[in-house]
Amino acid sequence: MIRDPIRKLIIVGGGTAGWMAAAACARVLGALPDLEIILIESDAIGTVGVGEATIPQITLFNALLGIEEAEFVRATNATYKLGIEFVDWTRLGHRYVHPFGFYGIDMGGIEFHHHWLKSQTLGDDHGLGDYSLGVAAGLTGRFTHPRPEQPNSPLSRISYAFQFDAGLYAGYLRGLAEANGVRRVEGRIIDVAQDGESGFVDAIVLESGERIDGDLFLDCSGFRGLLIEGAMQAGFEDWTHWLPCDRAIAVPCESNGDQRPLTRSTARTAGWQWRIPLQHRTGNGYVYSSAHISDDEAAATLMANLDGAPLADPRPLRFTAGHRRKAWVKNVIALGLAGGFLEPLESTSIHLVQTGIARLMTWFPSRSFAQAEIDAYNRLSEQEYIDIRDFLVLHYKATERNDSPFWDYCRTLDPPEGLVRKLDLFRSSGRILREHNELFTETSWLSVMVGQGIEPTAFHPLANVYPDDETLKRLAHIREVITTTTSLMPSQAEFLQSSGGASGQQLRHAS
Amino acid sequence: MAASAGKFARPGREAGPALSQLLYAFHFDAGLYARFLRRFSESGGVKRIEGKVTDVELRSEDGFVGAVSLADGQRIAGDLFIDCSGFRGLLIEEALHTGYDDWSKWLPCDRALAMPCSLAGPPDPFTRSTAHSAGWQWRIPLQHRMGNGHVYSSGFTNDDDAERTLRANLDGAPLADARPLRFTTGMRRQAWNRNVVALGLSAGFVEPLESTSIHLIQSGISRLLALFPDKRFLAVERDEYNRQMEELSARVRDFVILHYKATKRDDSEFWNYCRTMTIPDSLAQKIELFRSKGRVFAEALELFSRPSWVAVMLGQGIIPQEYDPIADSLDEDKVAGALEQIRQAIAGTVEQLPTQADFIARTCAAGGAVTAPPTLPEFVF
Repeated sequence: MIRDPIRKLIIVGGGTAGWMAAAACARVLGALPDLEIILIESDAIGTVGVGEATIPQITLFNALLGIEEAEFVRATNATYKLGIEFVDWTRLGHRYVHPFGFYGIDMGGIEFHHHWLKSQTLGDDHGLGDYSLGVAAGLTGRFTHPRPEQPNSPLSRISYAFQFDAGLYAGYLRGLAEANGVRRVEGRIIDVAQDGESGFVDAIVLESGERIDGDLFLDCSGFRGLLIEGAMQAGFEDWTHWLPCDRAIAVPCESNGDQRPLTRSTARTAGWQWRIPLQHRTGNGYVYSSAHISDDEAAATLMANLDGAPLADPRPLRFTAGHRRKAWVKNVIALGLAGGFLEPLESTSIHLVQTGIARLMTWFPSRSFAQAEIDAYNRLSEQEYIDIRDFLVLHYKATERNDSPFWDYCRTLDPPEGLVRKLDLFRSSGRILREHNELFTETSWLSVMVGQGIEPTAFHPLANVYPDDETLKRLAHIREVITTTTSLMPSQAEFLQSSGGASGQQLRHAS
Repeated sequence: MAASAGKFARPGREAGPALSQLLYAFHFDAGLYARFLRRFSESGGVKRIEGKVTDVELRSEDGFVGAVSLADGQRIAGDLFIDCSGFRGLLIEEALHTGYDDWSKWLPCDRALAMPCSLAGPPDPFTRSTAHSAGWQWRIPLQHRMGNGHVYSSGFTNDDDAERTLRANLDGAPLADARPLRFTTGMRRQAWNRNVVALGLSAGFVEPLESTSIHLIQSGISRLLALFPDKRFLAVERDEYNRQMEELSARVRDFVILHYKATKRDDSEFWNYCRTMTIPDSLAQKIELFRSKGRVFAEALELFSRPSWVAVMLGQGIIPQEYDPIADSLDEDKVAGALEQIRQAIAGTVEQLPTQADFIARTCAAGGAVTAPPTLPEFVF
């Protein structure tokens, strides 16, 4: 067999993506004989690092790195997250929670929500959220770890993620990566040297004159895509017509003490505002469409809607929704913002880095760079962006809001074909279709479709295997179990203290 | 290893790690199985009506099937019809003219001859498929007899030669005359059309090389339950059913084609055709990925798992050019040690297993009353 292994892996950029990649590569590939991993970053270039909220898959990434949870929570001022609360999205004054985890329990061979839909037709008006431990615990500010030893308890499968300081997270991963042998080179990149014939990247040239050659380059340089676009001209698939928000302005503020384990997203006139409570501060930002509101107005809206004193000047960001047409070209693979951008409405930025890394491990090349593998990687990568895009567009499309040109645009846009199919199926008979292991589960689609006011005209015929009173009795029982379980859970603050995750910094800004 | 040694036991929780990974299926008499399920269904409330369908009534307003009429004049109306009438597709094709996608350019076998014979020894716990010059022959050991059949392409051999080949390759004495079957490999354009859902041979046919026919029925049933309609018969549910079944069948098709395409045989026109034919892109991609670094990527609606693809690709002589570079991160001696341990654990486990004959005799031998009377042999897929 041929053996022509990668001997030098160069990571370009030291933001969240760069250090996640460095830490993971050092952990998984570190034992490869003769493999050198170098990360190049410039202290003079800031990182974006706004992806402060995550989704449950982050726990898998941390486990891969052997990270001890309490230590990591402490080091990054993290809080736990059980879901996202959406405010004013469906209509002004409306709110719902998109939880991680599950609703109720599947019964009679079909999903729980068909029984719930049936209960609604019987005059029972309990909302879907009453059947989710994540929603109940999130809204009452409680958190504890899952209890898998009690498989019949809803707590056995509670699903959680983190909200953390992305800058501290990158620093934490840098520590791990360097301890595992990653070499960090500081310097500003002034040139990317390519082979005249093949076009492969040979080396990165720094301002100091240093030339760093490599076999495989991970482009973690952010929006600009120094290698993937600058050198490889991969092209960008622009999705602005589906996701018109193209700017954001971010500012941290003091915590007002509300540290319920939920990210909040509040719809505004021309976009939406995030609120991410960390242990030591609250992250905020307004994501908006520059075609529908000016930067000044957006900044004023944000600053008028903080629940504590600002801790820094607001920071502007510009972006285009979409993804690089090819995430992998020749010997360059783009990760993070260099690969594409989808607004953080469902906290997918860090996740996309993580899956990019996982895919890289799965398809890790040799110096032969087999095209079939590159094609497979790119196909999977594109599919992932499409899946997430469709889920994001759902939030904008399924709304009753008609109070601004922005919402009129969103409400009436032509959704992508995959989303149309999902909406049709749900609307006509409450069926949810999850395709090719897409990221968002049936629970997520259900939560947002119901939350945003889409009402199915029928439920699964098999829900009628139970007589009406039996259905109602079972649902009442599920609600009771959820309520009782919630009342037995500690508050998030208590949990952080007892688990050793409290950073001690939350007192600093508490009012 | 267990198969080669003729051994079998059910994996249980208390079994060692090697045995706990043993996956198994059954060889059975499909006629007896249908009868077994008939008793099960009737006791669960299914009403059976005997009779030959002579007419299918379509509703004038929408072309849906309204009722079927029997030779005795009985008329049976319904909301939803499941067409299990076999190749002809009494409802799905003869009444609704749904159309059929023909895959015979990739899978040119179009006939089979089935013939049971006596057992020459204790039954093996594996199916055997032997390639012949214009097709292949199955050998399926049951408790009471051996099922055999020759699947062949009429474009490359004739029925008489096919029968001679079959008879020359039996383990025991024939128990019946050869039973001929004709088919066209492919699938119904829409397995669900209007208020008719085709299941089994009425929905499509892929030769039994990987024993997928019953599995496709099973998948169709579970998807039908998941998307079970109401009287509105929404297009969106029907389309979803058809999309999933099409995807599933196409992946099964690819896997079966792989066996024909990846061969070095050049001793007959049939094999020359198969070896050099153009294959679907989806399969070409899989082969190319495997050839590069031994990687298999399983698609979402894929029946066959990674071990299946690896087994057939390696078995048919596709050798990867490289292995996964990450394998080098493990210490070579440790890897060699681990592989040796796995081999020993498997060999040790197999050593202790009972033979299949012992296992059956002890746990589930067919009672005299159930042993098949000399009925016509069944085409066991």
